[in-house]
Amino acid sequence: MWEAMEQMGWVKTLSSTGWMYASVSVIHYLTMFWFIGSMAVVDLRVMGVAARKRNLTELSAQIFPWAWTGMILALISGFFMFLTDAGDWAPDPVFHVKLGMIVLSIVFAIWVQRGAPKWGALAEIPTSAKVIAAIALLLWILTILSASEIPAMEGLG
Amino acid sequence: MYGLLQAFAKWLEGTPWGVGVRTSLWAYPFTQLVHFTGLSIWLGTNLALDLRLLGLGKHRETAAQLRDDLFAWNWIGFCIVVLGGLLLFSSTATTFLVNVAFRWKLGLFVPVALLWHIFVQWKARDWGATQDAPAIAKFSGLAEILLWICVITAAVEIPNH
Repeated sequence: MWEAMEQMGWVKTLSSTGWMYASVSVIHYLTMFWFIGSMAVVDLRVMGVAARKRNLTELSAQIFPWAWTGMILALISGFFMFLTDAGDWAPDPVFHVKLGMIVLSIVFAIWVQRGAPKWGALAEIPTSAKVIAAIALLLWILTILSASEIPAMEGLG
Repeated sequence: MYGLLQAFAKWLEGTPWGVGVRTSLWAYPFTQLVHFTGLSIWLGTNLALDLRLLGLGKHRETAAQLRDDLFAWNWIGFCIVVLGGLLLFSSTATTFLVNVAFRWKLGLFVPVALLWHIFVQWKARDWGATQDAPAIAKFSGLAEILLWICVITAAVEIPNH
């Protein structure tokens, strides 16, 4: 099934046309940096080490819509990159780790976004919230690490 | 001048960290992790300010407020980028130095984008004092986004040259 996806007409065009594949890669990197960085700032704010003068509720409401926009673009461009070599990517165990990390990271990002208005309204941000934000940030770093390990360990990408 | 750069690249390759990143199996992905984590913080905070100047997204904060909120971590991110980038460069510095895409990236796009970013960040206090930024601010924000796209494009092209 995965090989069949690789053989679809437009996927073959994408993988064999240099500027097309490069453009998708650029979109993937740009949007990935964009959304991880902006989410990281909110996590750091919850942890009490960034933008301390700004109310958490305000910062979170300003940042998160951008972050989700970036993430959706990163997921779509990433899926296109996956398709060009789907037969090799699909069974790769390190790639599975990366996908698992992404899912976990998204769960924690939603947790932080939903918690932000409650935590921001309190006189002091609870320690439990800081732990959740720290895990959310760490999970994105582990996602990047698992992504970097794929070419290093498996020669893919 | 170029001879000096070549000598510097050669020296970097021989440093303990240059040798370490090049020869150890785990060091390269970890160094890339440092570079990419820094890039996320750096570009994430850059783009947030640019997009706010452009008027795209929520208007919960003004661009001037957002600039102040992000300033410290913006430059912490930059330091992490430089640290990771220097380590990656050291591993195969002489090869990077003759790479056309790398030359475009470090020789032109990065310096221009960096200076432009400093300019935008400096002006954002005035431009972003009210909810809607002036046209010049929107142009400057858009230009910065395009400059970083140039940087990433050159970076993506490095393995192809």
